[in-house]
Amino acid sequence: MFEYLAIVFSLSSLLTIAIGTVAGVAIGGMPGLTATMAVGLLVPFTYTMDPTAGLMLLGGIYCGAMYGGSIPAILLNTPGTPAAVATAIEGYPMSQQGRAGLALKVSVTASYVGGTFSTLILLLFAPLLARQALAFGPAETFLLALMGLAGIISIADENSSLIKALIAGLLGMIIAVIGTDDMSGSLRYTMGMIELIDGIDFMPALIGLFSMIQMLELAGMRQKSIDTSALDKTQKSEPMPRGIAKHIALGSGTGTVIGILPGEGATIAAFISYNFSKRISKMKELFGKGNPEGIAAAEAGNNGCVGGSLVPTLTLGIPGNSVAAALMGAFIIHGMIPGPDLFTEYANRTYPFILSLFVANGVFLIVGLTFAPYLARIALIPPAIMVPVVSAFAVLGSYALNNAVFDVYLMIGFALFGLILKKLGYSLEALILGLILGPIAEGGFTQGMIIGKGSPWIFFESNIAKVMWVIIALLLVPPLISYLKMVRQNAAGVRSS
Amino acid sequence: MTKRSVDRIVLAIIILMAVLLYGSAANFTGIARTTSAKYVRFLAVFIGVLSSGQLAYSLLRDRSLDKLIVTTHWPRFIGLLVALVIFAMVFETLGFFIPAAIFIPVVAVLLGFRNYLAIGLTTLGVLAFVYIVFIQILSVNLPGFNF
Repeated sequence: MFEYLAIVFSLSSLLTIAIGTVAGVAIGGMPGLTATMAVGLLVPFTYTMDPTAGLMLLGGIYCGAMYGGSIPAILLNTPGTPAAVATAIEGYPMSQQGRAGLALKVSVTASYVGGTFSTLILLLFAPLLARQALAFGPAETFLLALMGLAGIISIADENSSLIKALIAGLLGMIIAVIGTDDMSGSLRYTMGMIELIDGIDFMPALIGLFSMIQMLELAGMRQKSIDTSALDKTQKSEPMPRGIAKHIALGSGTGTVIGILPGEGATIAAFISYNFSKRISKMKELFGKGNPEGIAAAEAGNNGCVGGSLVPTLTLGIPGNSVAAALMGAFIIHGMIPGPDLFTEYANRTYPFILSLFVANGVFLIVGLTFAPYLARIALIPPAIMVPVVSAFAVLGSYALNNAVFDVYLMIGFALFGLILKKLGYSLEALILGLILGPIAEGGFTQGMIIGKGSPWIFFESNIAKVMWVIIALLLVPPLISYLKMVRQNAAGVRSS
Repeated sequence: MTKRSVDRIVLAIIILMAVLLYGSAANFTGIARTTSAKYVRFLAVFIGVLSSGQLAYSLLRDRSLDKLIVTTHWPRFIGLLVALVIFAMVFETLGFFIPAAIFIPVVAVLLGFRNYLAIGLTTLGVLAFVYIVFIQILSVNLPGFNF
């Protein structure tokens, strides 16, 4: 472990982590820009970097952006990221009361504790889980991908229905079928285009679905005015409130567990932590009016997602959320396929990356405690100048990975296609997870069929497979029941009206 | 057009795609017949069933008349798209810097930003950043003409 620590604490690594983290805080602080967008956009550029440094840079951006969203949420009532919405509910009223100093202090401390705790869990449990993955055969690999697909269901929210989330996931898996058949070597659905022989790379899709879509939306949006009065208000200096540690601990645990579940993101983690905190609070009546306990739980929750989401990503190759999916892309382009190999063959890169997340958390703690009020001004950058800059990087990023202009067209195509799907309530996270899980599922399925001599019973034979089926059922049944209840209630509502 | 109508069209296209996908698996050859073809059929059946169920639900229960609003400002939306496509088209011949030097200010003005000094400085800043970080430090190969 000391040699890994030496890598992390070298001057160049510390500089890389610091640059990534500060850039992440700035990106997270800009409304409309998210961690997925930033990581997705920068993955292709790390291709020519030293893999460890590249991963540290992206890890820093991930940690920084998760925290950065809370600064404009508290000071301007403009959440930098969707995960900071819950923070705005409590943080902005505190700013209006002249208590922004405390809100920012609680936010950065909770983010630090949540991020550090989840990274510790990642460090302790990921190698153990990865070792279990050694026992996985093709059938279990296929079931693992199905588990990821089942996790997609829980992505469904009020904007994307459960069935539509599954359809989007399957659509992603179907897009992943395009290209050369690994079994026979023949071409499938390439329509005679040589650019499709290797299939559709998920990086242009990721940049299109998570970066370019946001730019298209911002371009076609009328600009809202932001209330900056809290920035100029004199703020009181207050100590940390008593009993806040309980809410930070609750958020950290909840965020980490939610992050581990495939498909669950930081936004859900923040809201669930916030609701838990509200339930156990002795000052329930202050929620919505500026309660630091709500900020503590929400921020610990969304930062707890960072380490949590990387557990299934690094060990099983199933991304915990869309940012983890983008990070997984970075591992793959450096030839590091998620699974046990990351903790054996590539241990000299994986462990320094994990350890660098601790440093990144420390960096944003210092940045947050020192510069947070100044960083809020980033949110005031007009979208009209942000859109062309990010779009230019999206074009550059899509091109850079394969040096192919075709990938730029793919990126634009995915952005347009994704925008329509999004407006219709289909989950884009599900689509990208499907695109990533597709090749894993196909590899497991086809090899399983060969081993099983064409019989699908191979997928039910081993004890691990049976347990995995139970988990898939547990993931599917509760949301299905609540979905059916909702459909029935809607039908009853239509009849009565 | 209403959201409901567009959704139904999309679902119908997905169902048609599922049928074609299922049928296409018959053309797989060699070992792919018993492996990849079954996987493709599995996906086709699964997505076909789900899309049919969703379409049936929409036809029977969905009474909403919400319009599908892709954007609230079409000229800016289309303008950005056209600018992106032109950027991509000239990317290989002219490289990154010249198209980006035109793309960034043009799109900023198109989106209603009129602080020309800020636009100029931002454009210069981005180009300098790409040159220093991507070309000099990261050695990313950009196509066509570079400084």
